[in-house]
Amino acid sequence: MTPTDSGAAQARLQAISRTQLFASFLKMGLLGFGGVLPWARRVIVDERRWLSDREFAELIGLCQVLPGPNVVNLAVIVGTRSRGPVGALLAVGALLFVPVGVMLLIAMSYDQVANVPYVRDGIAAASAAAAGLILGTATRLLVQARPPLRGMLTGSAAFVAVGLLHWPLFWVIVVLIAVGVTVEWGASR
Amino acid sequence: MSADLHALTELAVRFSALSLVAIGGINAIVPEIHRVVVDVQGWMTSAEFARLFALAQIAPGPNAMVVALVGWKVAGIAGALVATIATCGPSSLACYYAWRWADRLQESRWRAIVQRALAPIAIGLIMASGYTLAQGADRSPGAFALTIAAATALAFTRINPVWLLGVAALAGIAGIA
Repeated sequence: MTPTDSGAAQARLQAISRTQLFASFLKMGLLGFGGVLPWARRVIVDERRWLSDREFAELIGLCQVLPGPNVVNLAVIVGTRSRGPVGALLAVGALLFVPVGVMLLIAMSYDQVANVPYVRDGIAAASAAAAGLILGTATRLLVQARPPLRGMLTGSAAFVAVGLLHWPLFWVIVVLIAVGVTVEWGASR
Repeated sequence: MSADLHALTELAVRFSALSLVAIGGINAIVPEIHRVVVDVQGWMTSAEFARLFALAQIAPGPNAMVVALVGWKVAGIAGALVATIATCGPSSLACYYAWRWADRLQESRWRAIVQRALAPIAIGLIMASGYTLAQGADRSPGAFALTIAAATALAFTRINPVWLLGVAALAGIAGIA
């Protein structure tokens, strides 16, 4: 969404019908076992081709800086860009409320099924794969978006500070944005 | 009934206040939710909270849906809906207006600069959350191998992730991982 390609992305997003919008976010929410983000990238970038990997990475960056769950913010922005406020409501509604229902059904039966060894072992192993899906999504975005060295440095700093050192997310984001924007501004002059 | 109404009001007020400070997503406010739910309100024990959190990780839907489970535990279905709307409503409105504002800056150089600066930070944070989840999930060499295999397959092939999760679950049931 640099000024040059924002028009093309906007045109693609505005061509989405309300039904497509609803169905796509419903799919992300329902399949988002262990995290919605891998599914969001797959559906938005690979399947529907609404955004490129780079555009998706830039949008997710914005969604992470704004308060609230990242994928809900993603639904708000993609929904708004394609169908205005109604689109935002459709996308968020599709993403959240059906999965909430499914989750409550699981929660209500969890006590009965959670102690069955097969279920427990299956869920534990699938959780390990789900963590891998998130790592794979990050790798894919990294390979496709190919940030310049200055981006590799801020990105690595974010990983080390939050993933390895467990520093408070809020301050890491505030400081890295300040650094990132300053460096990016310097590079654009 | 009035006790329920009181609980629903508490949920709405507490979670909508947290909504606007959840910078970086729900994980940023999990410690604060824990404090409110366990220490301040005494709605559940710390162990129950941990179990609900694990359930939200594995169930479909955003991990943020742990708040729906907390609401359900406190005040049933109504509690789940109130907690979800309270947690996602204010932040979604903020996001909507932030985007409308950003949209007006479409041609501005600053917007391009900020977006280019944010993208790599976002990728680093996604990597960090995957790493954190892997640390919790990888309790055996087999599980570690599953994480690496899933990450590699997703990053470099177009395989549908459903197959990866399904095969992993079967490997777990078979006792391989």
